[in-house]
Amino acid sequence: MNALKLEQVVKVYGDKRAVNQINLEVGKGEIYGLLGANGAGKTTTMRMVLGLIYPDEGQIQYNGKGYSKELNRLMGYLPEERGLYPKIKVSEQLVYLAQLRGMSKADADRSLKYWLDRFNVPEYYDKRIEELSKGNQQKMQFIAAVIHKPQIIIMDEAFSGLDPVNVELLKETVKEVRDEGASILFSTHRMEHVEELCQNITILHKSNTVLQGNLKEIKRQFPRESVILGTDGEVAGLDQITGVTKVDRLETGYKIGISDEQAAQEILRMAMQQRTVHRFEVVEPTLNQIFIKAVGERHE
Amino acid sequence: MSNMKTIVGFTFKNKVRTKSFIVTTIILLLLVTAGINSLYVMSLFNNKDEGGPAKAEVVGIVNDTEGVAPALQDYYKKQSNTNLSIQIYDGSGDPAADETKLKQDLAAKKIAGYLVATESEDGNFPKFFYKSSNIRVTGDSTTNSLETALNSVKTDFIVEDSLTDAQKQQLAEPVVMDLEQVAVNEGNAGTNQTQEQKVAAYILVYVMLFLFFMTAYMTGNMIAAEVTAEKSSRIMEILITSVSPLSQMFGKVIGMFLVGLTQIAVFVATVVVNLSLPHNLAILEKYHIDMSEIDPMLLIYGIVFYILGYFLFAVLFAAIGSMVSRTEELGQAIMPITFVSLAAFYISMFSISTPNTMLVKVASFIPFTSPTSMILRLGLGEVAYWEVWLSIVFLLVAIFICGWLSAKIYRTGVLMYGKRPTWKELRKAMKAYKI
Repeated sequence: MNALKLEQVVKVYGDKRAVNQINLEVGKGEIYGLLGANGAGKTTTMRMVLGLIYPDEGQIQYNGKGYSKELNRLMGYLPEERGLYPKIKVSEQLVYLAQLRGMSKADADRSLKYWLDRFNVPEYYDKRIEELSKGNQQKMQFIAAVIHKPQIIIMDEAFSGLDPVNVELLKETVKEVRDEGASILFSTHRMEHVEELCQNITILHKSNTVLQGNLKEIKRQFPRESVILGTDGEVAGLDQITGVTKVDRLETGYKIGISDEQAAQEILRMAMQQRTVHRFEVVEPTLNQIFIKAVGERHE
Repeated sequence: MSNMKTIVGFTFKNKVRTKSFIVTTIILLLLVTAGINSLYVMSLFNNKDEGGPAKAEVVGIVNDTEGVAPALQDYYKKQSNTNLSIQIYDGSGDPAADETKLKQDLAAKKIAGYLVATESEDGNFPKFFYKSSNIRVTGDSTTNSLETALNSVKTDFIVEDSLTDAQKQQLAEPVVMDLEQVAVNEGNAGTNQTQEQKVAAYILVYVMLFLFFMTAYMTGNMIAAEVTAEKSSRIMEILITSVSPLSQMFGKVIGMFLVGLTQIAVFVATVVVNLSLPHNLAILEKYHIDMSEIDPMLLIYGIVFYILGYFLFAVLFAAIGSMVSRTEELGQAIMPITFVSLAAFYISMFSISTPNTMLVKVASFIPFTSPTSMILRLGLGEVAYWEVWLSIVFLLVAIFICGWLSAKIYRTGVLMYGKRPTWKELRKAMKAYKI
């Protein structure tokens, strides 16, 4: 039984279908990637999971049960638009938010201190939010989502607006939370984060699911379309091979676009005849490419 | 429920600590203190005038054939506690020339004013003008004194010697009349009040109207501003996923209610402390104000109407706050309800001396104006208890309906960003969100 399950969920706003028959399942201890361009229906989906709005059709199950108020205590939410009380101390408002999620004051305080230590910023305890930099406000926002040890966490654009060091730090903590058994529904525009964190993904486009499944399997479905070749010198006639669409000369070799995976073997053979090959890789498509393909194709 | 308590506590704690709240409360405290003590300070100045060597005032009058002028002069000569004296000018036969002379002396400050008699008909007592460069419409001690003096002279003039001095003395004594309100229907509120009770009720009603308006309007505004601020800072999204909007809204409303009560408590404490200062106690006594004459039932009903009225306004303020995304737009959005609260306040304030008019009666049954109007009728007018209870029932029904509607608007409004939604858009959104 999965922690979170959406079945044929539909949401209609007026005459517009904001979400059209989405299905997805997030297991315990899993980070699930929900991808899509702006306006694809991610936020609406997340709001339905949070119980803010109700689906028009289909159902959402949490640990096999429907939505109930008690679930508020088990869920954490990192909204896309960040917001905390600017003029109130970090300690006061985070403890308050944790209390609203059913935690006792003492537990909340302990948990807050743990998280501030985890982010190496224990001195923020007595600071007001408006005194912190944007990146640090982001960390406080993250703490607000996890302070009450939720089982289901919704993260909308988790890492936006952070510098690379803090992105790494936050990524590590997300993994920790996952390893403790939380199920995380995660959305971002940064595909490399998804590749690093998620096993399963759904790509939404204009309210419809265009691509869904295990990330590795999805990648396998997409043909490998480029070859990296490293040689000690120039290789002639690469562009003559059938199936080769593009040849780019790099410092240490070539990057070759192919339309057919068979062409890769032909490239290797030709290169070995002429030069010493010290690198050869048929590169699997990045999620970025897959995303653009899945979403972009339907744009036209 | 425990969530609601948390919200109430958080709202209260954070509001009471804000600078704006502390500053307004201190200003209120100072104003009240100044207002109460101003009576005493004023009396100090007055005492100086009366207590010091009495400033002699001379009033001029042209001698006349009827002999009013000498009689008036005699009257003042007989009085021991007056600073007025009469100077008689000999008439030249030309009234215009006489008056010019009087005016000159007035300009030279030889006299404080002068009396001019108009021609009397058929030997009747003449009519007088008192002319001075400093005339108060409401009359002052000089004019009052002159009136009394002229009355006395007039009595002498008419009765001549047919009455003894003792009888004249009795005639001069003013009639004593105390006021007491008697209810037509026994058992109604506001029955059989003595003068003291009336004064106490008047003051209490006045203070309650003022407090109702001030706290309901101010805390209402604060509620709306808080909700909008939560929306614009987007913390609302986290809040509504944690707590049901209903407990959120009522938590806020109750929290602010406590803030309002705190303010009232400060107000009442300031008043009590100031009034119990010895110099102010003396003044209260002087004006026959005895706050122990306050009818406890009036106070209790006042509190009931205050609480109910507050909640009615507060839920609407919360609903409006939830529809606005940016604080700048809030002032415009709360305009209608501001007008309603102003109407509630002024209907009662303007009717405070006429509490039994049809306007007040009608207003006392309309939920938004009833808290103030009913307090007015209870305190100063006449009202049957069934009317009071009917009004309370109406108010409760209105709170229930508005609370329900506001909760729906709140639930929808907090999720809507961008421009302020129209009612149509709001209804559409409610349908879409299935609220």
